[in-house]
Amino acid sequence: MNSNKPTGYDNRLGVKGWVYAGRYTFERYLYLGHRLSGLGLIAYMSLHIIETANRMRGEQAWAGLMGLFASPLFRVIEFLLFVMAVFHAMNGIRLLLVELGFFLGKPKEPVYPYSTSVLRHRPLTYVVMILAFVAVVLGSSSLFFK
Amino acid sequence: MTDMTTTPREITFRVRRYNPDVDIVPHWDEYRLHVHDGMTVLEALHQLKAEQTPTLAYRSSCRMGVCGSCGMFINDLPMLACQTQVLHLNTDIVTVAPLPNYPNVKDLVPNLEPLIQKHAAIKPFIIHTNSQEIDEPTGEFIQTPDERESISQFTHCIKCGLCLAACPTVATDPLFLGPQALAQAYRYSADNRDCGLKERLAAIDVFHGPYQCHMAGACSQACPKGVDPAFAIQLLKRTLVLDSIGFGKKKSSLAKVMPLADVVKQIEEFAPPPRTVGK
Amino acid sequence: MRETRLWSLHILVIPIIAVLLGMHLAIMHYAPVFYGMSVDKAREYATMLERGKSVAQLVIYMLLLVAGLYHGLYGLRGILRELPLTPTMVKVVDVGIILFGLFIFALGTYVTWWTFNAKLGG
Repeated sequence: MNSNKPTGYDNRLGVKGWVYAGRYTFERYLYLGHRLSGLGLIAYMSLHIIETANRMRGEQAWAGLMGLFASPLFRVIEFLLFVMAVFHAMNGIRLLLVELGFFLGKPKEPVYPYSTSVLRHRPLTYVVMILAFVAVVLGSSSLFFK
Repeated sequence: MTDMTTTPREITFRVRRYNPDVDIVPHWDEYRLHVHDGMTVLEALHQLKAEQTPTLAYRSSCRMGVCGSCGMFINDLPMLACQTQVLHLNTDIVTVAPLPNYPNVKDLVPNLEPLIQKHAAIKPFIIHTNSQEIDEPTGEFIQTPDERESISQFTHCIKCGLCLAACPTVATDPLFLGPQALAQAYRYSADNRDCGLKERLAAIDVFHGPYQCHMAGACSQACPKGVDPAFAIQLLKRTLVLDSIGFGKKKSSLAKVMPLADVVKQIEEFAPPPRTVGK
Repeated sequence: MRETRLWSLHILVIPIIAVLLGMHLAIMHYAPVFYGMSVDKAREYATMLERGKSVAQLVIYMLLLVAGLYHGLYGLRGILRELPLTPTMVKVVDVGIILFGLFIFALGTYVTWWTFNAKLGG
């Protein structure tokens, strides 16, 4: 590479580019949602293993912890976690299928206006989002259990 | 109601300017231009350069969407300036910026070297067991129309670089191969005349390879030739997984050579001109 | 081949997590349906220890722990390494994630076995 040639002003979008990089379609934001929910879930899972290890400190410690988690704030957080998990799981099912090449159609000579695999698997995206919504609605019934 | 996508009128162009000799950071300049129906962004830039700002730097060549030179970030989407009609943007303010995720050389000119280097890294050529035939052809490799169709759309890449500008992974990871290189890696590896997947593995079966594509789909949306690189990358993942468990391409399915003599025999009834190759 | 294998495993555990996590969430949050007791009662110390004695629970928890940790930490590694890191930082991320995963795995395994072997009322 010619080191005398100027490389130029760094025009990379950086992490902001994960959030917004242009007027792209819905799936571009499902990617963002999947990333954020994944981070939330791995953080939660780690804390959950550490927190449930408190049982080894005896019944008193455990009861204190459970009392904390029964508070309204924590029940709301728990529900938000559930929504995150459902979204991540349902979108994950879509990605599992799509990233192995299913539901994307067959390679074809492109004719303008071009169809893209992203738009071709939109029906699957709808199905997955509807399933997620139904799961959240059904799961919200657990909020009424004491 | 007047159709604003055909009404000639004054349009404001916000153009991102950057002169490395003078500027530390880029800045935006505004220009007003009367735009007529059918005028492309590239034509607008030509006129701006001719009449208002002679120092404006940008790339262009064919002006008909086949060379890939004029890729720019227009109204928050990567587009070819020659293929974008100003009035069809349906707005009175048009923002024109250089492609993101590439170093900005000057004004609207991106440094496309990362694109070219990544493309070269995946060995973008047919690798056949009979390398002599590749270098000194004696005939044709047989490829049926179906075999061609299975990779045809991925052959239309014009290396314009819009896909890397759209990709969220390229936004942070300078080593990520990007949609263009990965799509071409599939295009060649899936070609029935090619058996080079093993040779390309060192370049593609790495962390910065296809598994850092998360199907955001922005690349396919941006591609001006319908290549659909996102599709190629998912097919590449499938190819790599199948290859890793022993279901890769069989050597026996590699394209055979149809010697020129046989080709000539087939079309003899049409009395072709005398053979000059192979004499 | 190596990156393909790592990713293939990441994908392979998806159905395992979906089923086992679904079971875990259902059992915990729908205790009235599955155990005929309130959610608060299901979370009590004694109930938790009693539940932890079943071999089924041991197997489910161990599988879920391994699958969930692998899947989640592979994803985290992907996100962190997509940032522009120096080669040293890359090593730090890779080693750090493995160590963290082993720590959580060790802790989770120890707690699960402790519960399996715990004596009630003592």
